[in-house]
Amino acid sequence: MTALTVTGLSLRLGDFALDDVSFTLPANDVMVVLGPNGAGKSVLLETIAGFHRVVRGRIAIGGRDITALPPERRRVGFVVQNFGLFPHLSVAHNVALGARGHRQDGPPAARVDIAALLERFGIAHLANASPTVLSPGEKQRAALARAEASHPDLFLLDEPFAALDAPARAQLRLELARFLRERRLPALFVTHDYVDVAALGDQLALMRGGRIIQCGVVDEVFRRPVSRAAADILGFENQLVGRLESGEGRSARVVVAGRMLHAAAAGGTPADADIYVAIRAENVCLARPATPPKGAADNRLTATVVALEPLGALTKVTLDCGFPLIACLMSRDVPDIGLVAGATVTATIAAADIHVVAP
Amino acid sequence: MIAVPRPWRGGGSLGSPLVVLAAWLCGGVLLAFILLPLLQLVAVQTVGTLLEAARATDVQSALMLSVAASILTALVAGLFGVPFAYFLARADFVGKSAVAAIVDVPLTVPHTVAGIALLMVFGRHGIIGGPAEDFLGLRFWGTLAGIVVAMLFVSLPYTVNAARIAFEGVDPRLEMVARTLGLGPWRVLARITVPLAWRGIATGLTLTFARSISEFGAVVILVYYPMTAPVQIYEMFLRYGIEEASAVAVLLLIISLALFILFRHVAYGRRPVAGSGR
Repeated sequence: MTALTVTGLSLRLGDFALDDVSFTLPANDVMVVLGPNGAGKSVLLETIAGFHRVVRGRIAIGGRDITALPPERRRVGFVVQNFGLFPHLSVAHNVALGARGHRQDGPPAARVDIAALLERFGIAHLANASPTVLSPGEKQRAALARAEASHPDLFLLDEPFAALDAPARAQLRLELARFLRERRLPALFVTHDYVDVAALGDQLALMRGGRIIQCGVVDEVFRRPVSRAAADILGFENQLVGRLESGEGRSARVVVAGRMLHAAAAGGTPADADIYVAIRAENVCLARPATPPKGAADNRLTATVVALEPLGALTKVTLDCGFPLIACLMSRDVPDIGLVAGATVTATIAAADIHVVAP
Repeated sequence: MIAVPRPWRGGGSLGSPLVVLAAWLCGGVLLAFILLPLLQLVAVQTVGTLLEAARATDVQSALMLSVAASILTALVAGLFGVPFAYFLARADFVGKSAVAAIVDVPLTVPHTVAGIALLMVFGRHGIIGGPAEDFLGLRFWGTLAGIVVAMLFVSLPYTVNAARIAFEGVDPRLEMVARTLGLGPWRVLARITVPLAWRGIATGLTLTFARSISEFGAVVILVYYPMTAPVQIYEMFLRYGIEEASAVAVLLLIISLALFILFRHVAYGRRPVAGSGR
């Protein structure tokens, strides 16, 4: 089994740069790379694929150092936005190119059975079709079949869904997740769509300014940002300036705009430090005033409704509880709680959902 | 093929019948301006005068020379211009816009000026013409090589510009994917980039050919003899008058239009999905 190891990768490329990027991706894990535009996500992928000269650092797949190899000898399957099928070649010839292109050290081209590969990906009936007439799903299957024909040790996927509408995206995501799980190769998937993270990723890396600012198991990173920048990338709606009162043990106490909040453990941040707390809007529960709390009610706040913003099934609520707070709830619950602008409600937040992050 | 404007599809300003009418009027004047002189030129000929002109050996050799030199020029333009166009399309370097401007310079240089300038460089005492004869035995005055040099100077920008635009239209990510599939840089060019840019390259070569076969000013100064067809027509016009000259003119017109249409057909007739030849 092959794992991808990237160590101290640095390079400069016009406006883009990579700055000391290091991570290890176990074989059969998918790492989603999330970050804003210009964070260097695509540059990272292109560098691993071999398109940019590395200033410092090392890239290895399963102990095979590929840092100095040209792209055609790295054995990576590269899938780009819109899947990058060659429009002047039929589907079968696209796939055959993956097998023919190959490699002194791989299996000989003649042994790659194109027909069987097309069959396996369910596109045998499209063998002679032009890629331009395929549906997005068929394009994805053709692109994966073509990559498979070249026997990759690693998959690199650079926002393949970026140009698709939401329903197509959801379906292709499922298919891709199934393929990657069965294939058991390390894969890097670059995106700026949160939904891709949980559906596809085992690991999550957050990138900004050419650096990986946080990296780990998806759930861990998704729930516990370590910095404000990480909370930004993860889309935490509430990021409040505060002061850490005490951070020992399993919980922390922070003061935000004069109000004491119980928060999750601050993990090494010294007491008395200026910090931020990050809270997801969906973790703020709203109820009529004086309703007995359901579940964990480490923090009970009296709040005034400032504004309601219906977003279809969900409604975003802006509150004032001494500091601005954004909550998000099912739209059908809005009348039950009596949410109108100016109303008073009780907001409860579990301590585990309040994250202390460095500024 | 005359497309009937369909306002309900065109939208915008074509929604107004007055705009459509004005467009047709202007376009009609323009088309008449192009076609009327040419049709008039052809109309005064009889098959007899054309055949008689075509039988003259000097006319035959002038026409042959024009066709051969123009095709040769397009090939040389392709050989030097297409790789350079790829470089301009993909590379980023300081002074790129200046380089691109230099490529366009021949479009603005009057062709007689180009001819004189070329004569000074490629002539008997020129910095290229002299050594080329001394060391390679290659002469540029009074030879096919000289005609090609004159044609190339005025027509090279068409190939470089058309090929450059065509290469810029090829998504670099397709080239990247091809590399990861195991193709080296040269094979990516041959299998992916050039086939995808082929239509634009062929259009550029066709324009270079068309510009070359119609070139007079630069050629006549650098190489009067052997005469290309435009030079031959000019001389017949001076010596015998308009009727003698017009018969040869129509022959050149027919040949160059036929070849132009043929080359365009080759450029555009390629099937969009071709096999990679397993």
